[in-house]
Parts: sequence; C-alpha cells; structure tokens
Amino acid sequence: MSSDIRFTDFKSDKQPTWCPGCGDFGTMNGMMKALAETGNDPGNTFICAGIGCSGKIGTYMHSYALHGVHGRALPVGTGVKLANPDLEVMVAGGDGDGYSIGAGHFIHAVRRNVDMTYVVMDNRIYGLTKGQAPPTSREDFETSTTPEGPKQPPVNPLALSMAAGGTFIAQSFSSDSQRHTEIVRKAIEHDGFGFVNVYSPCVTFNDVDTYDYFRDSIVDLAEEDHDPSDRDAAKEKILDADKEHQGVIYQDEDSVPYSDLHGLDENMAEIPDGAPEDAMDLVREFY
Amino acid sequence: MAEDLNWAIGGEAGDGIDSTGKIFAQALSRAGRHVFTSKDFASRIRGGYTAYKIRSSTDRVQSVVDRLDILVALTQRTIDENVEELHEDSVVIYDGERSWDAEIPEGVTGVDVPLKSLAEDAGGAIMRNVVALGAACQIADFPIENLDESLEKRFASKGEKLVENNKQAARLGQEYVEENYDDLPEYSIDTTDEDLVLLNGDEAIGMGAIAAGCRFYSGYPITPATDVMEYLTGRIDQYGGTVVQAEDELSAVNMALGAARAGARAMTATSGPGIDLMTETFGLVATSETPLVICDVMRSGPSTGMPTKQEQGDLNMALYGGHGEVPRFVVAPTTVAECFQKTVEAFNLAEKYQVPVYLVSDLAMAVTEQTFRPEEFDMDEVEIERGKVVDEDDIDQYLDEQDRFQPHYDAADGVSPRAFPGTDGGAHMSTGLEHNELGRRTEDTDERVNQVDKRNRKVETAEQEENWDYREFGDEDADTLVVSWGSNEGAMVEALDFLDDDGLDVRFISVPYIFPRPDLTEEVEAADEVIVVECNEQGQLADLLEHDTLTRLKRVNKYDGVRFKADELAGEIEAELEAEVTA
Repeated sequence: MSSDIRFTDFKSDKQPTWCPGCGDFGTMNGMMKALAETGNDPGNTFICAGIGCSGKIGTYMHSYALHGVHGRALPVGTGVKLANPDLEVMVAGGDGDGYSIGAGHFIHAVRRNVDMTYVVMDNRIYGLTKGQAPPTSREDFETSTTPEGPKQPPVNPLALSMAAGGTFIAQSFSSDSQRHTEIVRKAIEHDGFGFVNVYSPCVTFNDVDTYDYFRDSIVDLAEEDHDPSDRDAAKEKILDADKEHQGVIYQDEDSVPYSDLHGLDENMAEIPDGAPEDAMDLVREFY
Repeated sequence: MAEDLNWAIGGEAGDGIDSTGKIFAQALSRAGRHVFTSKDFASRIRGGYTAYKIRSSTDRVQSVVDRLDILVALTQRTIDENVEELHEDSVVIYDGERSWDAEIPEGVTGVDVPLKSLAEDAGGAIMRNVVALGAACQIADFPIENLDESLEKRFASKGEKLVENNKQAARLGQEYVEENYDDLPEYSIDTTDEDLVLLNGDEAIGMGAIAAGCRFYSGYPITPATDVMEYLTGRIDQYGGTVVQAEDELSAVNMALGAARAGARAMTATSGPGIDLMTETFGLVATSETPLVICDVMRSGPSTGMPTKQEQGDLNMALYGGHGEVPRFVVAPTTVAECFQKTVEAFNLAEKYQVPVYLVSDLAMAVTEQTFRPEEFDMDEVEIERGKVVDEDDIDQYLDEQDRFQPHYDAADGVSPRAFPGTDGGAHMSTGLEHNELGRRTEDTDERVNQVDKRNRKVETAEQEENWDYREFGDEDADTLVVSWGSNEGAMVEALDFLDDDGLDVRFISVPYIFPRPDLTEEVEAADEVIVVECNEQGQLADLLEHDTLTRLKRVNKYDGVRFKADELAGEIEAELEAEVTA
C-alpha cells in the first residue's frame, strides 16, 4: 500500500457508457476519492457489483472486481472479505439489485455486519431496461409497467437497515461531491457494514426524482444538530418520510465486525502444499 | 454368513434411535468388526417410524441385506415394517411392560425385557435403549466391555456419573436375558485386532475438504447435506478456516464464489433444491473461471420430493444445469472412503483448470456409517495443486502492452494465469458478461469465439493430463458387463457373490467421473450384455453411455427411495438378463 495514491489511480482506461449527466458518475468519483483518502490502492481493493447501470462500475474502476449476477453482490463481497481481511471490499448496487431481487441479502448482510462498504445508487427507476418502477419509486410514479403508478409504498432502505440491526446507516447525494465523498469515507472507516444509500439521479427515465428535486429537498444532517450515535434520533429521521436526509444518520460506535467476533484475521488464500500436519487427528476421531 | 450379524433398533423419531444405533455400531467397530449401517427415517422431528440398521462382519461389508438377526423393537410398527427380514433364528427384543402388546411373528423368538424398569433401576428411564444394547450383547455373545468404550465416548462430556449409569444399564439388560432366557438361537460373533474408523459420506467429504486446504465453507442447512456443514463447524476453524451459514443457497454459492475470487479454497454443499437455486450463479462461476467445489448430496426429487429418501436423479442437472454452454467437471465418489479422496481431487481439479466442480454424492452414502481402515484416509498422500497462480515476481509476463493483467488470457492449454487480490499489478475484473482477455465486456465476434474455445480447451487439456479412470470388480472376461455410479458400488460388489453362486460371471465397472469420464466403448463392445444400474427412473448414466458408445444398453433402475440391497440387485440383474432370452 503506497501513500501517494490518487483517486484517478482507481479509474480504468474504459470510458463509462452511462448517459451524460447520470448520477452514477458522481457516485463513482466519490467512491474513488474516498478509497484514496483512506489509504487504499487498486491492488488491495475489491469491488463487487450486480446487474443494472450500477453493475457496470467494476469496468470503469481500476481494482480487483467481480461483476456478478443480479442481486447477489453482497454475498460475493462477504466471501471476499472473510477470505482475505486485508482487502478493502466495496459493494456497489442499484435500488433494484439491492432492495428488490437482492433484498433478502441486504437484510442479512446488515445483520452479519461484515467490515465492508455498500454503496447503493438509488435513482428510483430501472434505467437499463428503459424505465420501470423499482421498489423505491413513489406510489403514483407512472412507468411502462405501472401506468397508474405501482400503488405500493416505496421501501425505506434506511429503515430496513435499522430494523436489521445496522451499525452504519447513511445517505448522500451524488451531486454533492464533497459531502458524498466524506460520507463514503466514513462508511469505509466504520468497523462493520457501512451502508450508504446514494441519491443518484437518472436523467433519461426519471423526470420526477431529478437533480433539481433533490437539490431543493435535501436536508443535510451536518446543518442540523444531529448526533449519529443517538439511536432514537436516528430512528426519527429515518421514519420521517417527508424529508430527504443527507449525512451519517446512525453509527454504532461500539460495532464489532463479523470477522472479529469469529476470530478471522488470516488470508485464507495461503495454505500448505499438503494436508495440515496434524490432519490424522481428524481420522482418529472416528475410531 | 455365520460371522455376519444383522442388527437393528426401531421406534419413533425422537426415541433416540439414531444415537443408540451409532453407539452399537461404534462398539462393533472398536471391536475390530466391519460395519455397514443404514437408516429408515422420515422427515420429521418426532413420531413416525425410524430405524437404524447395522450389518457387521469380520470381513468388509458394503451393503445391507434383507435379513435381521436381532431387532430391538420399541414399537409394533418396527416389527411390522421388518417382518419380511426376520427368520427362524431371529430374536426380537421388546418391552412387555409397555402399553402395546407385541405381536411377534410366528417362528421368531421374542425376548421380553423390561427396558424401562431396568433403566430406572440404573438411574433413569432415558437409558432404556442402552438396556436393550446390553440385552443384544448377551444374545449375540458380544463382550459387553466393547460397549463401555462406546458409551464413554458418547457420554464423556456429560460426566462420569452418567457414563457409569449407562454402563450399569447395559449390564442390567445383559443379566436379565442371561437369567431369564437360556434357550435362545445361538450367535457368537468374533472380535478382531483390526484398527477401524467409522464414518459417513458427509463426514468424509468434510474431512477431505480440510485435508485439501479448504478454508471457506458457506451453506444453508438441507437434508442430507447438513452433516458436511456440521462436521466442518468447529473443525475447519482449527485450520484457519470458517463456516458461514448463509440466508439461502443463492447467498451460499455467491459467498463461496467471493472467497474463491479472493484466493481461498472454497466449497458449498447442498442437495437438489439448493442446486436449483445455485444454478443461477453457476454460469457466472464457470465463465468467470473461478475454482469452486459445489457438492450435491442427492436426495429424491423433483421439487421437495422425498427429502429423506435415496435417489441419483441429479446427474443431468450437474451436467447440463444452467443456461448457455460452459464447461464444468462432475465427479461422483462411489464409496464413503472415496468421498474423502475425491473431495481432495475436486479441489485440485477446480484450481488447476479454473472450473466449478460438482462433487456429486447421494443420500445413501451420506447417512451410511461404514468402517474403513484408517489408511484409506491417508493424509500423507494429499497433494495440493493450485494451478497457474502468479505473484508479484512473475506477473510481468502476463501483462498486455499497456501493463494490464489478463485474467482470461487465451493460453494454448486454455488455462489463464490467476492473480489473487492483493497482488500488486494484478488488478483485474471478471464478469458474467462475455468478456475479452482483460475480463471486460465484449460482443466482438472473434473475441467471443476465442473465449468459448479457450474455456473448452481446458477440458481437452484436463482430458489429456488427468486420469479419468474407473474401478473394476468381478471377472474381466465375463460376457456380462454391469456399470454403475455413486453409492451402488457396495451393493453391486456384494451382488457379484450372489451372481457367482448362481453361476453368472459378471464384470463390474464403477464410474466415479461423470465429466470428463472414461470412454467405455471398448468395454461395452467386448461384452454381450451391458446393464447400467442406477437409483433413478430414466437411466441418466445409461443415456450418456449409450451416447458415448452408440450402443443400446439395458438398465436396472430403482426409484422407490430405497438404496439397492445386494441380494435384491443380483435378482434384478438376473431378471434383466433373462428378459433378453425370452424376448
């Protein structure tokens, strides 16, 4: 790990195919900056992603990466991190990947509290399939498959995380580069599962949850007297559906990550070239 | 057959049938007697009929037979379920003081032992099964001291007092029979000095995984694969590894995939319904060229099927499951000892060729506790081959002109270099999208064809480099050839003796590799009659061999949920041969 790493070192030579103006550019830039600021380099960083516009991130960043199947990026990240705790693991996903097809994994990744970072690019639309309703869209959001709106309330990912015992719950806005970077950095530095829901507007298929909408409605917790270690205050913010909050909403400062609880501190890639020395003990157990 | 002892205990689920059976099996094993066990059980925690059966001999035993010498019956249903297996020298131990009136079949000797009362005398009614074990020792003329060690092993963690009470309970059972019955059928079973270990297929797979350097296991409990997970829990930790219980099989296989991408030897084990879910990720594992061992302990399907019953119905799924075309290896051990050896081999194959390996076992093997010589689990023989792993020192030669690492480099043998995360200069991505040598998405026609061909070339390389052999038994020059896979081997090996008694010479080939697999064309051509034996309805291995050899083959299929028994299998083979004569 060298100290002169710049965030551009995390950029690959591949130009993103995201639409011009897509929120994902800002989301990714913040991730790269936060990784550089926390002393990581491409050689020790592993990015996991699923399917959707968000899933392409592994191609545009320079690091170790796996672009997997839809909704399963969190289990992949879990395996990577537990197998080699020296790696910085960051999982990226979208609102469909994380809260629809992968919702089950999200809950359990939160509970498991593996020391990794989960960044969800929440644009409240299915962009890659050209505009259908995800679980975070509004009840009356009209799309090609929901002409009168989904008629279901949107999921509240922050509340899901809180209910599942989340130890770091945050939200940011891709356009607010400085704050977004700072929040992702805190998620990386958190001892446990650092979850950041990022408002990452889709300029092509969502004309409701736009940059203007978020700029006008976001309430930055940095400007309020919010204490992230205050669980009750955090719950109040999370359940306040009328506000779009930005900032670290909740952080358990006593969080103990899964690896520590299970005594995992070795790189599992390193094994001897034969059976373990005392392996015959395993056979003797069966006498 | 005089040296054989066929013993069983049966009752309701929750009666401690399994642990009692295992105590007796262990006692026999420690006395140097070979043991082969089987279980009749239902998928419920309490109630319903369940039985633990032991066949024991001074020679190796590999199958159950339709014969019971001593039956401990805790319920009438136990007697009724096994009435066909009882014979004129059989003894049924039952407790006449209990509320049911035992109906002992005519010609069979009933031995009424007040199991519960004697157990209470020894310290608690819960020990009534152990009283029955003591009674069985007396009837079998099996020195009760052998039982003591087994009781110590089972109850040591619960305190000296409990161990002593159990020993006393066994003695009360023994003495009761000795004092009250003097004209019983005579059994006298020998003990030997042989060192034997007693274990089942799931335990052997778990032990093989640790021996092979597996450090990461993720899984979701499912019958009959849970024993693999339970075995590894607490043991793999001693070697720097871990077991993670995932929220479902989708997660389990993806966690294992992640660990494998990080460079760990990783495995997951499940049964058919879990494989259905894992199939979603299977193509990704294969096309990202990630070494992974996926163990399928088959049970009866489809859907929930018969969860506690035997079947070998997943061969086609292992071979063809998932959309698109991508190579995978399928290895199917044929004995409990092979479960160990083939697990070690599966990890080597996975890493050398960067492929997912399906390790296919079956319920019959998973739940069978069987004795083996410890040498069959020879840890000194274990060699770990990691394939083309590159480190910082030699990574330069695998970079492209822009110094980018190429995880899917189009190598002549199809096997690309592999850089573990953390290796300087090795950063790369991989994806389930079709990709170029850099691991980046491509839809370029040439790159697509190159990558498909490259992946297939790994199979060609493996076919040349590895030994895809089979195991052979019986008469090599016989006109009749029997082929089988999986746990049928034991029953078939013993069926050869029955067939021999009836004047039939048979050559038997047991195939442990499904893909790649041995070419049996010559063997099939050399035989007049070829019969493929398997525990499924469609004859999935038979279909493959017909395809390989361009020859119609006969089939013996069993899909009633129960494994083959040696004598039954011999009869089926004879019937199949006769069917030809009369046709």
